[in-house]
Amino acid sequence: MRAFFVAAFGALMLLSLVAWRIEPRSPAGKTPLVWVSDDNPARRGQIALFNKLHPEYDLRLDPGSGMEKVILQCLAGVGPDLFDAYGPSQLDSYVRSGAAWDVTDELAKRGIDQAREVWPAALATTVRDGRVYAFPTNIAVDAIWINKDLFDAAGDPYPKGPWTWDAFLRVAQRLTLRDDRGRIKQFGFLCDWWYWPQFVMQWGGRIYSPDGARCVVDSPEAIAAVQFMHDLMYKYHVMPTPVDEASMATQGGWGSGTISYFGTGRGAMAMGGRWWLCTLRDYGRLNLGVVESPYAKRRILRSYTRATLVNRYSPRREQALDFLVYEAGKAYNDLINRQADAVAAVIRYNYTPEFLHNPEHPEEDYNEVWREVVKYGRPDDWSPFINGQTATRILDKQMDLVKNDQKPVPEALRDAARLVNEEIAKTLDMDPSLRLKYYRLTGRERPE
Amino acid sequence: MKSRRHELRAALGFLLPNLLGFLTFTAGPVLFSLVVSFSNWHLHRTIPFQWIWSGNFLALLRDPQFIMYSLNTIYLMLGLPLAVAGSLALAILLSQRLRGIVVYRTLFYLPTFTAGVALMLLWKALYNPEFGAFNAVINRALDLAHADQLVRSLGGAGVSAPTWLLSTKNLWGLEAEYVRVGPGQWGLGARDALIIMGVWIAIGGNNMLLYLAGVANIPTELVEAAQLDGAGRWAIFRNVTWPQLAPTTFFIVVMSCIGGLQGGFEQARVMTQGGPAGTTTTIAYYIYTKAFEEFQIGYAAALSWILFSAIFVITMINWRLGSKELSY
Repeated sequence: MRAFFVAAFGALMLLSLVAWRIEPRSPAGKTPLVWVSDDNPARRGQIALFNKLHPEYDLRLDPGSGMEKVILQCLAGVGPDLFDAYGPSQLDSYVRSGAAWDVTDELAKRGIDQAREVWPAALATTVRDGRVYAFPTNIAVDAIWINKDLFDAAGDPYPKGPWTWDAFLRVAQRLTLRDDRGRIKQFGFLCDWWYWPQFVMQWGGRIYSPDGARCVVDSPEAIAAVQFMHDLMYKYHVMPTPVDEASMATQGGWGSGTISYFGTGRGAMAMGGRWWLCTLRDYGRLNLGVVESPYAKRRILRSYTRATLVNRYSPRREQALDFLVYEAGKAYNDLINRQADAVAAVIRYNYTPEFLHNPEHPEEDYNEVWREVVKYGRPDDWSPFINGQTATRILDKQMDLVKNDQKPVPEALRDAARLVNEEIAKTLDMDPSLRLKYYRLTGRERPE
Repeated sequence: MKSRRHELRAALGFLLPNLLGFLTFTAGPVLFSLVVSFSNWHLHRTIPFQWIWSGNFLALLRDPQFIMYSLNTIYLMLGLPLAVAGSLALAILLSQRLRGIVVYRTLFYLPTFTAGVALMLLWKALYNPEFGAFNAVINRALDLAHADQLVRSLGGAGVSAPTWLLSTKNLWGLEAEYVRVGPGQWGLGARDALIIMGVWIAIGGNNMLLYLAGVANIPTELVEAAQLDGAGRWAIFRNVTWPQLAPTTFFIVVMSCIGGLQGGFEQARVMTQGGPAGTTTTIAYYIYTKAFEEFQIGYAAALSWILFSAIFVITMINWRLGSKELSY
């Protein structure tokens, strides 16, 4: 028995030694940097270019960490050197938790003036209370993808923007096709439900009041907007319901879901960004076009930005800054545009002949549309007085009920606004600095 | 005396690594979480740390989400009696002296050592409303029975296969947001889907192994005596097997209750993200959400201690009631 235990112990020691030896390490003389971002295939090219331009670094991707994990890792002193924020509310969480490094002065020293150089809509994800915490990796404003082959088959002309949702609906109805049993075999329109804030903006509504002090998602404009989105599914039947979506379900992973439904010809039009090309290019001979998203009362389009932050507690934070400088440079921004990973965040790099006509993809003759729609981009409303995750949980629950046709839109949005405002009141009770800010802003101690 | 002291030192030497691990990684964090539950600890640094003593616990009592998610947790435990009964039936079947019985036992135990996430993804596909295996069978049966036309001819709204993980409906007709029965909520939905899957996983799992061991330990003379007295199979089961398995059943019920109250996290994370509309969010998943998504560490710690207290009380009740029934 003793021999067995000794042998097992020896074997485990040996395996540990082997694991230690084969653990991936940065080559000698190189500084390792870890970047938490998503698993978009384009990320590999962006990392390879950085490592080529900066041979002194060995940058690696950590694709599996969400915001909550990054914050905990950073506060525990084992965080990545760089990580991405997806939207203003995530930036706020990183700043308030202390994980984000204020890089205002560092970027200024390196001659980078974000306010002048990047698309204005991107600043909501990089600047908080006048201080710079991140550099935008890219910016996306969605438009309507069209499958030209399906339009040709239906004998319908390709739509041209700007256009209204009424005009859009007529086209979508013509392009929704049913089989002999009356089941829909091709949808006129594919759209992820999380696009609802764009509809709210376009109908003249808001999620929060402009100062962020109150949730106003129960306004008549917001209700009308979500009702229209709901009707696209349940009244006009041009957009798949959750049950239809589940039926079309494909394998998971980055770029799955609506993109793959569209790529496999199950929808004639789809709401999506230029970054869809990172996946759609792999579908082969898709005959694609792009047109500006329709508008309602206002010609506003929802913009969203990914931005890279530096971990305040990283022992290599000075070196990590070089990555932000890289993101501000021509090589990176040209690569973003070539890869079609949305649109380059630095404005001037989008005004090049290469942006309009990528020699590797001459069929993509619609890039001007992507550049134009960014001008109408507006970031999501957010409130500094509530944790973004808490607000999302509340809003998602109510929107889930609407999406599944289990609660009338007005009732769901009224409940959503009430619950979010209650949560704002709770946050103010907890956080004296926010309470003071709220009082200065509104003259009240809590939401009405 | 000297040799006893020597033995004690040796024993402590052997125990120390485990004890240190237990103190550092189990007892320490558990005590720490108790301390934290009396504070407002929040990972946002703008919220100053304060001792709020019973504040989190009182807030919990007023938290409608906590009440809903407790109800979800209890609802998902409704499958426990079925799982226990199924394990027992399976164990009795697999204790027969048949050729190749070891192969059967291994096959039924397979789900237990298959990765949970893989199983859940498989079940997610089975529950697909259009192409899933369940609805393929249900739709065929409904077609053959002309059920839809029949219900419509009787003035009903028709009948269709359930949408499983996408639906807030349930067998009790509970509403998604309030603790009350709501119109149109009766049916099969996400909660029931998780129960069915849970029962399937549990039937062939460790409970079955425990029952197999229990059945094997029943003295053969008791069974033979009953047979000599002319008892049939059912009488033998009712008067010999079942009483003899009482300690095993007691252990399984206690452990299943503990597991059920702590459960639901993996399913929610992999299959439903706690939806639709929070109907598959359990207390365990809510603790995770509060701590690691909303960063309210103090509140999450209080939730954990409430859960612990509930488990402790229920286990004590089980113990009191169950131990009275055990005569050996």
